[in-house]
Amino acid sequence: MLFEVKGFSKRFGPIRALSDVSFHVRAGEVLGLIGPNGAGKSTLFECLAGVLPSDSGNMRANGQPVGARERSSLLFYVPDAIAPWPAQSVRWALDFTIGFLRGRAPLREEIIDQLDLRPLLYQSIGTLSKGQRKRVLLAIGLLTRQPALLIDEPFEGLDLRQARDIAAALRAHAARGRTLFLSIHQIGAAARFCDRFVLLSSGRVCGEGTVQELAALAAAHNGARPCEDLEEVFLALT
Amino acid sequence: MRLPSYSGHPRGSAFLWLLDKEWRELIASRAWWVLLFGMGPLVGVSFISAVRTYAEVSGLNGTSAGVGEALSPLIGVWAPTFSACELAAVFLLPFVAIRLVAGDRQSGALKLEIQQGMSPFARIAVKAMVLLAGWFVAMLPPLSAILLWTSYGGSVYPPELVTLAVGHLLNGGLTIGLAAAMSSLTEHPSTAAILTLSVTVGTWIVNFFGAIQGGWWERAAGYTPAAMVAEFQHGLVRLDTMLTALVLILAGLGLAAIWMRLGIDVRRRACESAGIGVLAAGSIFACTFLTPSWDTSEARSNSFPEADEEALRLIRAPLRIEAHLAPEDPRRLDLEHRALSRLRRVMPKLQVQYVSGTSIGLFEQTRAGYGEIWYDLAGRRTMSRMTTAEGVLESIYSLAGVAPPPENEEAVFRGHPLAVPPNGAGAIFYALWPGLVVVSGILARKRFK
Repeated sequence: MLFEVKGFSKRFGPIRALSDVSFHVRAGEVLGLIGPNGAGKSTLFECLAGVLPSDSGNMRANGQPVGARERSSLLFYVPDAIAPWPAQSVRWALDFTIGFLRGRAPLREEIIDQLDLRPLLYQSIGTLSKGQRKRVLLAIGLLTRQPALLIDEPFEGLDLRQARDIAAALRAHAARGRTLFLSIHQIGAAARFCDRFVLLSSGRVCGEGTVQELAALAAAHNGARPCEDLEEVFLALT
Repeated sequence: MRLPSYSGHPRGSAFLWLLDKEWRELIASRAWWVLLFGMGPLVGVSFISAVRTYAEVSGLNGTSAGVGEALSPLIGVWAPTFSACELAAVFLLPFVAIRLVAGDRQSGALKLEIQQGMSPFARIAVKAMVLLAGWFVAMLPPLSAILLWTSYGGSVYPPELVTLAVGHLLNGGLTIGLAAAMSSLTEHPSTAAILTLSVTVGTWIVNFFGAIQGGWWERAAGYTPAAMVAEFQHGLVRLDTMLTALVLILAGLGLAAIWMRLGIDVRRRACESAGIGVLAAGSIFACTFLTPSWDTSEARSNSFPEADEEALRLIRAPLRIEAHLAPEDPRRLDLEHRALSRLRRVMPKLQVQYVSGTSIGLFEQTRAGYGEIWYDLAGRRTMSRMTTAEGVLESIYSLAGVAPPPENEEAVFRGHPLAVPPNGAGAIFYALWPGLVVVSGILARKRFK
């Protein structure tokens, strides 16, 4: 197990965004955080990455508590729908990731090719389309050296071909031992791509495990035959 | 600044990368280029009109040359020329600072950068360094005016010019500190801009109340940016003012750093901000007890003649002055600026008390005792109504039983009259500088792309 998340809660005034969220992340797996819009996926990622303060909750790795400062050496979070350094070129952003965020320089060229960024290298980030920006953000995340990478909606804004190519690239990095924790609201896409899942609904964890484990949980919950369709499982558990 | 890229070159430190990033962001910022562009015409108008006036009072076009003898370039040329920096610091620089500090939050870059783990104080220090460098570049037009003035044959006294430039650099620092704090405290840059300008307007209100109310308002007004700049414009360097400005700059940057930490609970950030506020207030209060000051003006416009200063230093007994003059009475302004401000520099233990029933003093004129200035030196008292430096010194000498020192004609500042028109200044400040800024802006932005 890479790390364990216990009892994360977060309120925005009267709205309870996260409620006693607990799960664990295994080293080298592709873990999907599944939930509808507004389930609290981005909030959970931001709390885990220390970008947003949580009201309660802690993380443990190797049985030891992980403080807020130490989290930056354990995980890196790539937010959705941001356009960082809009006036700077893609090339500079990648170099800055390596220089400032202590990224892995040897992977630079490989990631540029995997995410088809070479034609965009001299374009400023502010002028990129949504899908192009998403690829740049993924490249930034993949360049970082933290063992766990949290990506918010990795396939958002990508067309079918791009989504398949990027899924292959992410898989290649996971195969080398990088742990990927992906927030995905399209359950079908998540089912094809992730090893295990954390189901989140209205800020609560409804289930955690592989499709089979979740199906068994749903069957036990409803007293029906197990069904291995993740969408059906999700509906049964939420 | 150009850092090595990762295409086979060695890597720089995270700090240098951040410096590179902030410098690039400054160069990419239209607000900074507008500031640079605007500085040329602003300085040009001030410099050209100042040199013309200086030339006229120095005897150009047949006017009397006698007045020119009292003119110093600091008051006649440099104070108005550098006043363009004051305008820019209030109305243009805040937007440059807000763009640089709030831009990261707006674009989402802050969420990526804070995961690096670098101290927010180091991060805001880098931003402040780049902004100060940017402000220094914006100050090139008034600095280039010095070369122009020298080419006309004008006299330059470096200590007073350095003082003036440092004053405007500090004023820029105050704007940067304030704008950085507001940018971090608020969610949106436009809110930060409104709050920054509101604080500036607030300091003007303090100045206004200080002028009409006197008392604590007057003391507080002495530490506003406008008052600080006015002192530097007269070549006066006061340790308390400089340290107060530095404390305020650091407090602003500290607040900005605290509120940059998005992952810290808001209540904790509020408590830390309150702590910084208390620390800054305590430091400023302590600074007000520091009395050292230096008159760097060639004309010694903040000092009595040296012989008088030596005589005054020999008077050990505490001197107390009670002036029955209202805050808005012009005689009180004369007394304060021509005599008491100079006296405080020589006699730090001087106690001054203003007594008045109203702020303008118009209907107090008929009251017995209004306009009187009482001097108390070790129990001996005397009264005078004179508000000139000579009158005040005369009263003090008579009370102390000290013979006034003889006047030293050679030590009197005679000024540097210069009756030349501002040739070439229009071309430089209205055409060459703006053109240079436009071309540099286009080239720099192209290079980055």
